[in-house]
Amino acid sequence: MTTNSNVHTEQNGGMKKLSQKDLRRIYWRSCQLDVSWNYERQQNLGYSYAISAAVDKLHKDNPEKKKNALKRGLEFMAITPQLSTLLLGINAAMEEENANNPNFDENAINSVKTSLMGPLAGIGDSLIPGTLRIIAAGIAISLAMSGNIMAPILYLLIFNIPAFLIRYFCLKYGYKFGTSFLTTVEKTGIMDKVSYGASIVGLMVIGGMIASQIWLDLPIMVGSGDFATPLTDYFDQIMPCLIPLGCFGGMYYLLGRKVKTTTILIGLIIVCVAVCGIAALF
Amino acid sequence: MLVQSIFIFFIAALGYLNSFFGSSNLGRPLIMSTLVGLVLGDIRTGVMVGATLELVWLGVFPIGASNPPDYVSGSVIGAAYVITTGTDAASACVLAIPVATLVQLFWDFLMMSAIPLLAARADHYAEEGNAKKVDWMHYWAIIIQTVPLALIVSCGYYFGMPVIEQVIQAIPAWITDGIAYATGIIPAIGLAMIARMLINKKVACFLFFGFLLAAYFNLSIIGIACIACVMVAILMLNQNQTVREEAVDDDNEF
Repeated sequence: MTTNSNVHTEQNGGMKKLSQKDLRRIYWRSCQLDVSWNYERQQNLGYSYAISAAVDKLHKDNPEKKKNALKRGLEFMAITPQLSTLLLGINAAMEEENANNPNFDENAINSVKTSLMGPLAGIGDSLIPGTLRIIAAGIAISLAMSGNIMAPILYLLIFNIPAFLIRYFCLKYGYKFGTSFLTTVEKTGIMDKVSYGASIVGLMVIGGMIASQIWLDLPIMVGSGDFATPLTDYFDQIMPCLIPLGCFGGMYYLLGRKVKTTTILIGLIIVCVAVCGIAALF
Repeated sequence: MLVQSIFIFFIAALGYLNSFFGSSNLGRPLIMSTLVGLVLGDIRTGVMVGATLELVWLGVFPIGASNPPDYVSGSVIGAAYVITTGTDAASACVLAIPVATLVQLFWDFLMMSAIPLLAARADHYAEEGNAKKVDWMHYWAIIIQTVPLALIVSCGYYFGMPVIEQVIQAIPAWITDGIAYATGIIPAIGLAMIARMLINKKVACFLFFGFLLAAYFNLSIIGIACIACVMVAILMLNQNQTVREEAVDDDNEF
């Protein structure tokens, strides 16, 4: 028993390995991923900052490999910050192999990074800023409308507790499974289930927000004298919140026609001001 | 006024450091406006302005290579304006939307010129194998953005607030009315953007389910979110069951 463990520690002594502390450093450093965003290579500075915690330790005595690893970190990077740790974990595991195996093909790291970046950003953007933030914002806004000061706190908690857990588990499993991570995930089909469930909750919240957060009071009265009724009431008798639903449908259609959001926004303000201006003339 | 401007500087800096603290939504309008309310002594109004502005910029988040209007400056200035003048929360947009668009122009300029230059320096240091100096380029990128942007916001508050009240009073009522109406509809843009991102044939009906729950039963968003979670649980659990039953049926057939 003792000899066995001795052999084991000896091997470990020769192998370069990342400790829990190093992984924790990658975790905290990954929190700054988006802060040095730029138009040229997007998150390259943030990514290299996060991975350099591992690079510095693994390639301490091999300047050539260290130089290459640092340059790899500064390549183009675009990913949802909360899922970046998955890529960082896989990258750290590969970098570890690179430090121990002289025949390691360094290009593999770059090709894994570039091939995972796109799909992960796609899933991540609809999951985190799309769904999770919308649920948090929907709940917080409905409370904040009445001036409830718990609303901002609730907003941060509902968003950040899952977000930081996702960040933690992505790093853990990314590092643990390395390149085999994605094949494992594809086999279980868990990613499809998560995005299916998340989009159901997200869409139901959006549906609720259409009814409660969009408002347009048509200040038009139909009929005269005592029988005058606001036009809005007629619409509400057909179906409550029909006007907000119409507004939403209109915007949905315009976005489908590839009209830019800023164009819609400015157009909307101009139309509203123009209508009020014409109404003011009479 | 000067003390408040200094506090506003730190609030704005916190907002711009959102991505420093794990992209945790610190810079969102709801948080910024509440903090401004705290400093100017009216949290309730701050929260209410925050709700309005959060709705306006609901669909706005950095995605891919496009950068949204800078809602940090917009919400700080918008909330400060509403609280100091005592107008209603909806009129914050009159100021917030143009401010956010203008400041974003400056921020875009930084992200196009200064930070790529730092990245080029970082390439140089990587060639030398100096990890510490590469890290320092990242730190400089933080300082070079946060300090000037937060300064712009606090100076805008210090010098702009006394003037802006008169400017906005000079605007005819029909323009502010028009913008107030637009503010009511603008959330539809954000909701439509996100719906487009999430929707597919399998889940489209849930959008209408959520809408009907709110429209006919006046359920709150928390209620709808809870119902949605239960529905997902039901669907997931039964999905497995039907698969298993089908498998059993198949066995019987053969």
